[in-house]
Amino acid sequence: MNSEKIGAFLCLLFSVAYGLGAFTIPLTFLSQDEVINARTMPFALGIAGVVISLLIILLPTIEAEGRRSLKEVFAGLDWQRAIWFLGITVIYGLIMKWLGFIISSILFLNTGFYILGERSLKVMVLASVPLVIGLFFLMSYILGMYIAPGEIFYMIGVIK
Amino acid sequence: MWEGMLDGMWIGIQTTLIPVNIVVVLFGCFIGSFIGMLPGLGPITAVALMIPVTYGLNPATGMVLLAGVYYGAIFGGSTCSILINAPGEAATVATAFDGYPMAQKGKPGKALAIAAYSSFTGGTVAVILLMIAAPMMASVAKSFQSSDYFALMVMGLTAVSAFAGKGGFLKAVLMVVVGLMLSTVGTDQTSGVQRYTFGSLDLLDGISFLMLAMATFALTEGLLMILKRLDTTGVFKSENVGSISDLKVTKKEFKKILPTMGRCSLLGFFIGALPGAGATLGSFLSYGMERNLASKEDREEFGKGSIIGLSAPETGNNAASSGSFVPLLTLGIPGSGTTAVMLGALIAYGIEPGPRMFVERPEVFWAVIMSMYLGNVFLLILNLPLIPYFARLLAVPKNILIPCIFFFSIIGVYLVTFNTFDIEMMVAIAAVALVARLLNYPMAPILLGFILGGLMEDNLRRSLEIYNGSIAFLWQRPVTMVINLMTLGFLVMPVAQMILAFRKSRRAGDRFNA
Repeated sequence: MNSEKIGAFLCLLFSVAYGLGAFTIPLTFLSQDEVINARTMPFALGIAGVVISLLIILLPTIEAEGRRSLKEVFAGLDWQRAIWFLGITVIYGLIMKWLGFIISSILFLNTGFYILGERSLKVMVLASVPLVIGLFFLMSYILGMYIAPGEIFYMIGVIK
Repeated sequence: MWEGMLDGMWIGIQTTLIPVNIVVVLFGCFIGSFIGMLPGLGPITAVALMIPVTYGLNPATGMVLLAGVYYGAIFGGSTCSILINAPGEAATVATAFDGYPMAQKGKPGKALAIAAYSSFTGGTVAVILLMIAAPMMASVAKSFQSSDYFALMVMGLTAVSAFAGKGGFLKAVLMVVVGLMLSTVGTDQTSGVQRYTFGSLDLLDGISFLMLAMATFALTEGLLMILKRLDTTGVFKSENVGSISDLKVTKKEFKKILPTMGRCSLLGFFIGALPGAGATLGSFLSYGMERNLASKEDREEFGKGSIIGLSAPETGNNAASSGSFVPLLTLGIPGSGTTAVMLGALIAYGIEPGPRMFVERPEVFWAVIMSMYLGNVFLLILNLPLIPYFARLLAVPKNILIPCIFFFSIIGVYLVTFNTFDIEMMVAIAAVALVARLLNYPMAPILLGFILGGLMEDNLRRSLEIYNGSIAFLWQRPVTMVINLMTLGFLVMPVAQMILAFRKSRRAGDRFNA
């Protein structure tokens, strides 16, 4: 199966799940007799998704790019770094509430620089610290946005 | 009508010339050029990254800023194409055909200057046409009803898919459907019931369009750069900056490209005004047209550093960018991925896009148009001398650039909701979008479908209620029927192309990889 058809197959699975999910949408008593209710559009879209996915799977592939196999498409890609990077982004999301904007952002940027091969501490610090602190001041003092400090500062008693 | 137009222009001039708006245009052009110049980042990413900043501004100022970022990014993308042959997005691919060979011949400054003058001409002519066409279109659209809007949205989504190319039509339609599916997540506005929230409070308001735009474009671009080990720093070093300072274009060269700029401005504008066509088609068609019209001598120069070959796509893509504001401002239908993001911003400001905006919020409508004049002038007089300095950006190493792109995207989304759930969801969507892009599925149709999904459902609901549940609304109103016929026209083109391509490959005895 070529890459285009694999993409269509994944969309087919998604569309089937989405279409079946339409049956679980609760309907109010009155809306059950309506011409169009909360389920109508999802149901129609689910069917459309299934039909178009099947068309892509069944019809011949025209684009040369789409005829490549999955192995060819994924060959030579630096998956390890990309996954590491996605991982630290997830961690950044999780720690932001606890460590606050400044610390978590500096940690995220420096880890990101390191994963992508930067080894000069000076470059890493100079690229991250002024950027994060500058942005914090811009947001807090110029645009007047409230950025909550990290929970940890309340826990250790720095902020009461 | 002309009197109303003059009144509107006056409102637009007054709004644009407020000091804060002048600064905002300047800032927008500057930051747009800056982001657009970064390899891999196009106008969609540039506009999406700037949306959080606009939430603190009034809608007119916010839209003026986003418009400035848009055409600044197109201009910046051209610089990247010319200097390192790495177009940030499809609209500047044709610029590289002759811009890069010209730079290779030791004339990067001249290539950048021709691109700047052509962009200026294309942008300025298109704004004049926009000023005339937009109010006329808005006046016609004022009589539109729900059924017409529904038909228009279907046409817009079909057109986007139709222009995806002979092999990409079905994939683009599928992505539109996925976008529409994502738009149904959250609380149904009419009945108040939850759809696909899986009991999560974070999904009650649905998926944020900004988060979707950042995930499918900014984060995915960054991840693709990591995956493909794309590093442009070896191609362009900061010491090369000196060689691009010579921006002189001779009178003879000007005379040669003047007719090209005129023709491509008109063509680009009309292509841009078509829903779904956008700057990419504008630039390619302009390049093709000028190649066909060129003398035999000039034609041989195409692809080797022709000044006509460089001027044509540059004029065409800028004119088309301005042209794409016609359906956005008058019908509330985005003509491209970038205008879809801008439509999302308008909705977030609480403005109902479409002909009503022309009547109810004329200051937004006209400020966007009038600010474009100012933006084009700023781009020319400010960016031309700054090009050598901007070019240093191309020397920023990827290991510093990518974490910064991620950082700005995440913070942009986080500062709107202050909800870390959005960050986790953004990562999940970016991972899926990355696989989709590797499998060659386009992302812009998802955004268009997502942004138009809610409006489409509302209009369909209203139309069906008015017609007592009958689908006769599709043909009973003449306007709706005309729009539906146009949609059919858009469908015929790619379907015919597909059938021809199938036959061709069958004749060639191709067995296809099934």
